[in-house]
Amino acid sequence: MNELELKKLWQTTNDKLEGSFVINKKNTEDITRVKVHSILGSMKPIKIFTLLVGILWVGIGIIALSSIYLNSFSEANKFFLFSASIQVGLTAMALFIYLYQLITIYQVDITDPIIRTQEKLASLKMSTLWVTRILFLQLPVWTTFWWNESMLTDWSALQWVITLFFTVSFTFLALWLFFNIKYENRNKKWFQLIFNGKEWTPLMKSMELLEQVDDYKGQTPAPR
Amino acid sequence: MDKQEQQQFFQDIIEQHQGILFKVARAYCPNEEDRQDLIQEMMIQIWQSIHKYNNQYKISTWLYRISLNVAISFYRKSSTRAKKYTGLNEQMVETPVEDKSENEQKLNLLEQFISELKEIDKALMILYLEDKSHTEIAEILGMSVSNAGTKIGRIKGKLKARFSQLIS
Repeated sequence: MNELELKKLWQTTNDKLEGSFVINKKNTEDITRVKVHSILGSMKPIKIFTLLVGILWVGIGIIALSSIYLNSFSEANKFFLFSASIQVGLTAMALFIYLYQLITIYQVDITDPIIRTQEKLASLKMSTLWVTRILFLQLPVWTTFWWNESMLTDWSALQWVITLFFTVSFTFLALWLFFNIKYENRNKKWFQLIFNGKEWTPLMKSMELLEQVDDYKGQTPAPR
Repeated sequence: MDKQEQQQFFQDIIEQHQGILFKVARAYCPNEEDRQDLIQEMMIQIWQSIHKYNNQYKISTWLYRISLNVAISFYRKSSTRAKKYTGLNEQMVETPVEDKSENEQKLNLLEQFISELKEIDKALMILYLEDKSHTEIAEILGMSVSNAGTKIGRIKGKLKARFSQLIS
């Protein structure tokens, strides 16, 4: 079958089907009157809400921790203080990513060429990977914040071995995941195991789309 | 343009170019119910972007950009939609074709071929079948004209191979 026949077949079939498809005037009028939530618009409220809650959490954390550092540092439990500081610091980093996402949402122009728009949208989704990496990086501090100075004198060797085993394992795991959760490893089994659920499907699809974008731009995949 | 002029312009372009919306929606969304939602989303995006339109590009170029961008994003958003989509394709493959006309068989094969393409390839295929020039395809997709030519050549090769399988 030659090219022209194929195009003709496609066009005549669509023309035939199109005949039964009519957007009535009332629908178009309604769209111009009703305030509607679109695909991108629906992403904004949840991002803004997360950003506000995050700012509140980090704000309270900074105020509380600063007060300890300034007024009662010598009496404070250093393990708790340093663990909480790392946690608040990492949450602040995650907030910057949410801010970046929000700015990108406002910058996306649906009338731009397909490759540019889809690259922006897919990169936006992919930045969620950074949030996940930071979330994993917080793992070790959840094993140290309850430590206290009396442990140094009162604890047996066995208690230390067990506690340190968890802390060292969590630290190793957190660092390993932080450095390895990236676009380049998307086809590895462990990666697909972590990002297996339904909620991760758009993320995985965004990765596939970025591959297509790179292919169309004639580039090797950029590190993301 | 004031609000009333924008409304009129919007109604005119939808009336004159609804075929673009329909064809794109049909290629990305074989399920009738989802397709209605997709077309509505396309119309919303067109209305919300109407103030940005300038006559630097043909209206069809502008409409293809919006409808394809919406279709690709819409398609990516839902996994259940993708499952339905696969189900439809499988069904299409199993349908006995003996009693169908040759054109219907070819059309089925063409539709199946399109449904198996990746999102951006699918956009390219639609534009190719719509007989758009390489320049317009490049403007819609956002690539160089020579690159558009190369990609079209590649996709035509795949299509040819698929049809020669049918003949053999």
